[in-house]
Amino acid sequence: MTWVVFGAWFPSEPLPSNVQQVALISAEQFEKLSQQRQAPQVSPEPAPLLEPAAVQPVADPASQPDPAPEITQPEPVPPAEPDPQVTDRPDQPPEPELPAELPSATEEPDVSSLVPLVRPDSAPRPVDRVAPEPVAPPEPDTRIADVVQPEVAPDEGAETEQDVQDATAREAASDRIVTEENEGEDAAATAAPAVSRRPKARPARPQPEPQVAAAAQPTEPEQADTSDAVADALAEALAGGADVEAPEPSGPPLTLGEKDALRVEVSRCWNVGSLSTAALKTTVVVGVSLARDGKPDTGSIRMLSSTGGSASAAKQAYEAARRAIIRCGAKGFQLPPEKYAQWRDIEMTFNPERMRIK
Amino acid sequence: MRKILAALLIGASALAGAGTAAAQTGPLRIEIDQGVIEPLPYAVPDFVPETPSAAEHAAQIARVVAADLSGTGLFREVPASAHISKVTGFDDPVKFADWKAVNAQALITGAVSVTGNRLTVQFRGYDVFAEKELESALQFSGTTGGWRRMAHKVADAIYSEITGESGYFDSRVVYVSESGPKNDRRKRLAIMDYDGANVQYLTNSASLVLAPRFSPTGDRVLYTSYESGFPQIHVLDVGQVQRKILSSGDGTMSFAPRFAPDGRTIVYSQTQGGNTDLFSMDISTGAKRRLTSAPSIETAPSFSPDGSHVVFESDRSGSQQLYVMPASGGEARRISFGQGRYGTPVWSPRGDMIAFTKQNKGRFHIGVMRTDGSEERLLTASFLDEGPTWAPNGRVIMFTRESQGSAGRALLYSVDVTGRNLKPVKTPDGGSDPAWSPLQK
Repeated sequence: MTWVVFGAWFPSEPLPSNVQQVALISAEQFEKLSQQRQAPQVSPEPAPLLEPAAVQPVADPASQPDPAPEITQPEPVPPAEPDPQVTDRPDQPPEPELPAELPSATEEPDVSSLVPLVRPDSAPRPVDRVAPEPVAPPEPDTRIADVVQPEVAPDEGAETEQDVQDATAREAASDRIVTEENEGEDAAATAAPAVSRRPKARPARPQPEPQVAAAAQPTEPEQADTSDAVADALAEALAGGADVEAPEPSGPPLTLGEKDALRVEVSRCWNVGSLSTAALKTTVVVGVSLARDGKPDTGSIRMLSSTGGSASAAKQAYEAARRAIIRCGAKGFQLPPEKYAQWRDIEMTFNPERMRIK
Repeated sequence: MRKILAALLIGASALAGAGTAAAQTGPLRIEIDQGVIEPLPYAVPDFVPETPSAAEHAAQIARVVAADLSGTGLFREVPASAHISKVTGFDDPVKFADWKAVNAQALITGAVSVTGNRLTVQFRGYDVFAEKELESALQFSGTTGGWRRMAHKVADAIYSEITGESGYFDSRVVYVSESGPKNDRRKRLAIMDYDGANVQYLTNSASLVLAPRFSPTGDRVLYTSYESGFPQIHVLDVGQVQRKILSSGDGTMSFAPRFAPDGRTIVYSQTQGGNTDLFSMDISTGAKRRLTSAPSIETAPSFSPDGSHVVFESDRSGSQQLYVMPASGGEARRISFGQGRYGTPVWSPRGDMIAFTKQNKGRFHIGVMRTDGSEERLLTASFLDEGPTWAPNGRVIMFTRESQGSAGRALLYSVDVTGRNLKPVKTPDGGSDPAWSPLQK
């Protein structure tokens, strides 16, 4: 009833339907098609072989087989020289270097240790630079810089102006000296995981709560008697004390990450390539004072001590260390400004022991 | 008065606190144990000509200095096209900022003057980032014909100042020049600067010559000649090109001679009755002394720099290995134990290493090891490498590399003792059996 009343207000459109054209065939044609799908009749006896008919030459040149190649004596090939890239393996298999301490079975193995350190295709390459981390050779048109950045070319269709930027990449480096003898060596071996995963150990049973000794109870910190210190400092101040300018490291110390960042910054400029063998056996401790912007005060750089070499060797080692501090500190070391008191004075020990075996 | 006293007390207590904190922490301490090994960038603009006729030499000398330093593989020249500053006066102040901008860590400036046949070279080196002059400023004078030697001396001084070890550029190499096809190879003694310049021939190619060796002062050369039909040792005065035979007796073959560090004695191999042993000989008297007496072949002796020991090769153990014995003879100690055959050992001028030729699995190598045989390192690998000789500072090794096949040639190559910087040495013809002189005086 409702439909009768309101149906006229909602005219229904016919639903869209797909129309497909078909071809009509006759019954004879359908019969023929059906016969083709039936399996062929196989006679129980094989048909006798026919005599091969004489092959008539075909006049069509396009279908003729290619003419037989003219056989000529090959040029004498000199015996191939051994590929200079392929080097003999070491006479004795190298002793595998085992870590001094195997990871504890109760610890979760470090996932990073299971990742191949070097890709199989990243065999050592003879490059001028040896650095802690190997760097693949940059593209030919790439400018060498410390920072890796892609090339940005002006886009003609762009509405806003774009800054043109050259592609830059770090200089190619290998992580050890590559000689003609060891070039390409151990590429496959280094692709193997350094450490194999060890099975988990049974969980340890819970230990009984240790009894806390009475002496371990926190006690009130003793108030230091500063009366003597105050008196001494007062006397020193009145006497025009000399230590007024002394450093006063205060506040939170640098984190390990911040120290590592500084270490890496200096390492990148510590070039020992031109040092003598004697200087490479000399460890020098160098003191330096930094300004608040992280730049070293070049006048403050001094050698505090040296071990392992003569005075001449120590001088060369010190000069290399000083160059590293000045060069990489030219734009200021990246250090937290709020901790300036902690890093105003730094003692850097330059130990080339690990560089000798590169 | 009370306020003043209170302020003083507050200030004093602050000082006391600071002193306590300083004693507890001290300066930040970090250890750097990883660095980089890369050529040190330097700049050597053309030297300043101080007389009109010195312009050509001023440019040439700067180029030879650059070739010397860059040729070591330890230095890399910043090309002149990148220079911001132009050095127009030897005494002009150096604009360090300009050289820092092109990352030149060392700068070499110089001036050249020519008066008649007299050439004077003065130079200075600078540590650019430290903004200070190196201590190597010197002045050399000589004839205009000796400008290359003066350039080498400048490079030696700079090299020594930066690396801390003596240079090797003002040195010479005597070698066997080889020309002609392999089946008709003509060999003659030649001498040249270490970089292949100024080649002079000391003998003609009428007879076969082998294994020349410099005297400790570089003024004489020992070599083996087949002039008489069998090998005999000759000594040749390099300056006057005069030679004489160090006769070792009829019916014997003597070869592989080498000077003792005192320059008065030689040690060599002598074959008699089918057996080869080591002997020493006083050059002035001709007195001989037997050092080994074994049925095996002992040859290729080389003195330690202090003259106390001799390293040589011998097949007494069944294969060719290296042995060390006292210079006066006596019990020999085997120092090579790796696979393959070892030969032609040469003691480093520093005394700490021995270079050798190694043959293993069909390949030849130049290698180095400690004098006790430890820390063996192979520096090269090819179809045929042999006959190492040390640069005067013990940093570089020169050797013979021969290529395979009927068209193969023998060429001189050099390599750093680390195995880096392997490169050929330019010679007019082929070359073999190089022997490096000491630094020239």
